[in-house]
Order: sequence, then structure tokens, then C-alpha cells
Amino acid sequence: MINVEQLIFEYPNLRALDEVSFHIPQGSITALVGPNGAGKTTLLRCMAALEQPVSGEIRIDGIDVLEHPRECHRIIGYLSDFFGLYDRLTVRQCLHYVARAQGIADEHCEDAIARVSNGLYINDRLDVLAGTLSRGLRQRVAIAQAIIHSPRVVLLDEPASGLDPEARHELAELFLELQKQGMTLLVSSHILAELEAYSTDMLVLREGRIIEQVAIKTATHTQDFKLTLATPVDNLVALLQSIDTLTVLKTEHNQSALLQIQGNSQQQHETLKNLLAHNLPICEFAKITNNLQDAYLETMRQRP
Amino acid sequence: MNLNPEFQRQLQLEFSSARLVGVPLILGVIFTLTYILDDQTSHQTNITAQTALSLFLLMVSFWGARQAVDSVLDEQRSHTWDTQRLSALDPWTMVCGKLFGSTLVVWYGCVICLLVYSFMAQNTGNLFWVLSYAITSGLLVQNLSLLLSLCALRKGKINSNSVIIGLAILGALTIGSFIMPLSQASDSLQHTPATWYGVNTTVQFLTLIGVCLALFWCVVGNYRLMAQELRIRTLPWVWLAFAIFLIVYIGGFIAPNQFGEYFYSIAFGICLTLSYLIVFAEHHEPMRIKRLFTYIAQENWLRGAEELPLWCVTFILAGLLAVPLSFSHPADIEELHIYPVSILLLLLRDIGIFLFFSYGKNPQRAFSLTLLWLVLLYGVLPGIFTAADLKGMAALFFPLVADNMIISIVCMGVQIALIWYFLYQRWQESV
Repeated sequence: MINVEQLIFEYPNLRALDEVSFHIPQGSITALVGPNGAGKTTLLRCMAALEQPVSGEIRIDGIDVLEHPRECHRIIGYLSDFFGLYDRLTVRQCLHYVARAQGIADEHCEDAIARVSNGLYINDRLDVLAGTLSRGLRQRVAIAQAIIHSPRVVLLDEPASGLDPEARHELAELFLELQKQGMTLLVSSHILAELEAYSTDMLVLREGRIIEQVAIKTATHTQDFKLTLATPVDNLVALLQSIDTLTVLKTEHNQSALLQIQGNSQQQHETLKNLLAHNLPICEFAKITNNLQDAYLETMRQRP
Repeated sequence: MNLNPEFQRQLQLEFSSARLVGVPLILGVIFTLTYILDDQTSHQTNITAQTALSLFLLMVSFWGARQAVDSVLDEQRSHTWDTQRLSALDPWTMVCGKLFGSTLVVWYGCVICLLVYSFMAQNTGNLFWVLSYAITSGLLVQNLSLLLSLCALRKGKINSNSVIIGLAILGALTIGSFIMPLSQASDSLQHTPATWYGVNTTVQFLTLIGVCLALFWCVVGNYRLMAQELRIRTLPWVWLAFAIFLIVYIGGFIAPNQFGEYFYSIAFGICLTLSYLIVFAEHHEPMRIKRLFTYIAQENWLRGAEELPLWCVTFILAGLLAVPLSFSHPADIEELHIYPVSILLLLLRDIGIFLFFSYGKNPQRAFSLTLLWLVLLYGVLPGIFTAADLKGMAALFFPLVADNMIISIVCMGVQIALIWYFLYQRWQESV
């Protein structure tokens, strides 16, 4: 869906994006993460054809963004980190304007407004002036504006900043709903816990370079497990290695181990049976959730 | 109804019911007062008509320019510009929506003023001309304000309202100085003859046509700048067309028997003036030149032409005109020799100085620093050396005082080599 090749963007005396290349599959929700100043906003702005890079190529749904920026504008929705609203207009007027500006015919605007306002739980605020809304509600109106024309790709720069936990949860649900509708989302955020709720992929950017692109929720059935024994077992490593269905990642003091088990739940059950058959004093056998924060920090540690 | 969305939004913002009632109410009070004053004074004066015209000028320039400027710069200030840039609106819809939507409330008041003037004017002989000038000039001032605000937006000067509105008021005063006497005087001006390419007409008619043409080019300029803001790729042919239009249009005012003698000089002067204007108006970012060089290296000529600074277009045109002009030996002005190639090189030097400051750490000051340097190079240094009877040294800085064209070109060559070397160094540091 999105292909970026050798993208270079420079500010005076600073290369903000340095030969950035990646691919984002259709229907995914990709978390764009990285420290401050990594180039996340610049990358999103280049992809939205708001900034012109020095060289490189960006293709969104087959459209060459640098050659045909206006065509790209029609298929994307973009939420800037410093978004603004028309404070002197009501929420309905704001949404109506954006809907019309995005080419939706006047007679279909009300349907579009109803659809996005229901999705973002702002249908009771439609006749309120945008300038009087709280930070969280403004954020929701801005997101509604970005998706009112049902774009194929949605680029969101820090969409959850300023939202309360409940609103973040609703936002995560909305993103999953948009994904179900076939949209591809690229979301930049600092709040990794929030991204974890909906992201399928993670793109790590540091100093203008992509240092990692990983699939977080994959279809493969490899799963990490933590094994803890009530008492140490001398030949634990050898014993574990003798079991075919698992891989030993790490052991500690012959009493605990980090294991990787291939296959589905049935195979996991078989592995546990196998472990018990070896008379191991198991007191804990728990699935380890591979959280986004750990993955991110691991990436940062591995690539200083 | 599928109204222009930008026009509709501007109406929602600007055409409030308070203004709908308030504008005619305030104007009504003012005109009632002037009507009473008219009744009490002699019939020689017409305070109501003059007030109506003055109020029109004030509203169309001050209020109209402010509305036009805010319709663009407010978007950037309130962070809504990206939403507009990403919309499906085309540049024409945007320009019309912003211009007419934001100023409709102004024109609502202006139409009242013009109606009052039409009913109260004693001299109705010039009514058509007064109304034509008023309306076209008003539109011109507002279009020009929008154009300047789009330029300011590109340069990142989003707090330029006061400067632009100041310029608009200056424009309105100029219009006023033309319209006000016309509204009072008899119709003598109608008979002032004028010729354009041998066509006999009147000054009044030519002025009106001139204002209309200026309005047309302003609209074209707005369209182009808006297109660039919306990331529509543009080639610099409109700037070339504008330069050629100006040469042809102004050339029409040269007396037929002097046409051959002055045409090239005037065309050359127009290209120089336009080059100076555009170099100061354009936004100069070092990365644009880097992109230009990248595209040239890739032999991507189309993209290269899109990145070409507009001053290059009129500079090349001036260069083409300088050649025939050099052979026609233009007359000297007192002690100054008119060497077209040297003048062209002076332009190149000045552009180099401006770009040098534009690529510096504080590009906002580029214009004032360049002016300072130009005062030194054109006035102070040559003045000191001339006073000290060192004409050769004076020629080094201002080569038009040199008695030999080759020497003057060499002097300019030295300056340009030095300035463009420093410019190249600074550009390299920036990218």
C-alpha cells in the first residue's frame, strides 16, 4: 500500500530523513515510533505531500506522491500534531466544510457527518462552537475531519496526545474499526502502551533512519513462555534442549528459563505435558506478551 | 446547493447578522448627518457624496485589505492551513472563495456608499468613470493584498498584516487622489487625448484598461501562488508571459517616431525592475537550489524548471535584450555611461548580495541588510572615491562611471566573482 524508497529530506544543516525505505502492507496499522527529533513528523508530512524531499520515491496505493501530490491528497487523511479548528464555527459547520472541501456532494454531507461523529462519539456536540471544546474533544473533531472522506490511507501524528484514558481506548477501537473497513493507518506516537492496543507493525525511526521494522501481531504461532521451577534442577539446560518442540532462549540459576514454543495451543499443551513428564517441579508456565515498549527498547539497545 | 465551500465558510465567519444590520445602520447615521449638513451649507459643496466616496475608499482598502489578508494568514496562525492544502479544492475555488467570501461584507457596505454617491453626486457626467474606477481599483487593492499575503505566507512572515494593510491604504490614497478630483471636476479629463500603438483614445479609458489589466494579472498571480501552496506543479511560464506582456503594453506608449530608439531600453528596464521585484518577493531556501542541482544532474529538466527561481527568467530575458541594446549605444546620462552588460552584471551582483543574506542565519533581515549594502556600493563608496578624484576606484564599485565598457565589465566581473564565491560558500554551509 505504501512504498517509500531512499527518501532524503534536508533542512538547512540537518538531514532529517536519511535514505529512508520501508513498505507498509494494506490494511495494517503501523506504529511510527522514535525519540524526539527522529524525523517522524517530517516523514509523515513528506508522505502527505506537504513537504518536498531532496530525492527518493513515495508511492501510496500506486500513486507517485512526489510526481502527483494532488492525487495523493485525495486518497489520504492527515492529522497534524499541531492541528487547528475553526473556532468560530460549530463542529457541524467544521465537518461540513471539510466534507465539502474533500469533494463530498452537499446532499451526502449529513450522512458523512453522522458517520464520523458517531464513530468518534461527538454526535452530541455537533452544534457546539469548536472553540469551546476541551482538548480531547478538539482532538476527536480533528480526527473526524481527517477521515470524513473515507481515505484509503490515514496518517496521524500524535493522535492521542491530550486524550484521557477512556478517550484513548475509544480511539483504539476507532482505529481497529477503520482497519476493518480496509483503511491503512500510520500512527506516530510517544505513548507506546496506547499504540500496542491496535498496531500490527512497528517502524522505528532514529536520527532520520529506519532502524527497525517489525510485525507485532503476526499470523505465526511462535510464542515466548516463562518457565519457573519450585527448586533448581542441575541439568535443566540439557533437559530442556532434549525437547524438540521448544527452543531455549535463556536460563537463570537452573530454576527459571525463557522458552520459545512453535505451534498452536495444542502443541503448547503437548510441550507442557512433555516438561511434566520429565518430573520438573514446575510452579509457573506463563505466556510472555511481547509488548511494544519492550520491542522498542530492545531495538534501541541493540542499535546504539 | 453546492456552493463554493470556502466561500460558504467565509460567509459563515464574516457575514454575521450583527454585521448585516450594523453596517447599514452606521452608514445610515453618518449619511443622515451629512445630509443635514448639506442642507445647512451652500449648494456648492456636496458633503454627502464626498463622504460616501471617502467611506468607500476607506472600507474597500482598510477593511477589505484586512479581510483579504486574514483569509490567508489566519489559516496559518490557527494551524488550519494544512487541512486546506490537503483538500480537493482547486486553486481557483480557493482564491475566489477567500477573496469574495471574506470581502463580501465589505462590498455590502461599499455598495451602499456607491449608491448614496450615485444619488447625491452633483456631477453625474463622470459617474460611470468614478464608479468604474472605484470598483476595479477596490478589487485591485484587495487582490493585491491577497497576493502579498500569499507571498508573506511562503516566506513564513505570517505577522505581516500591518505592512500589507499599510500598502493597501497607500494604494487607496493613490486611487483617491485620482477619483476624488474626477468626482468634483467637470468632464474635462474625458477629452485628454492619449495614444497607444497609434490608436487614439483618452487617458481615462487607458487608465481604466490599465487597472483592469493589473487586476487580471493579480488574479493570475493569486491563482499561481495558491496552486503552489496546494502543491500543484508549476513551470515559470506565467512570469515570462507577464514580463512579455509588460514590455508590449508599456511599449505602446512610446511615440511612434521614437519607438525603435527606446523600445529595447524600456524592455531592458522592465526586465531589470521585474528581476529586482521578484528576487525580493520570492522565498529563497537553500534546499530549493539543491533540489534544482539534483534534478539537473538527473537530467530531469521538467522538475528542474519547476525549481528554477523566477528571477532567472527575467534575468535571461534582460540578457537577451542587453545584446542588441549594446550595439545601439544608448545615450549617456550626464557622467554615467549606459553599458547594458554592466547594468546586467550589477543586477547579478545585487541578487548575489541578497541571496547571501537570505541563506544566512537570519533571512528575515536579508532585505534591510541588502539595502544597506546597496547604499554603500551605489552611493557612499563611489562618492568618496569620486570626491577624492579616484575615478578608477569609483568605477570598481560603480562601473557606469568608467569611460570604457570593457573596463566596466571587468570591474563588475571582479565584484561578482567575489560575491558569488562567498554566496556559494554560504550555500554549501547551509545544505
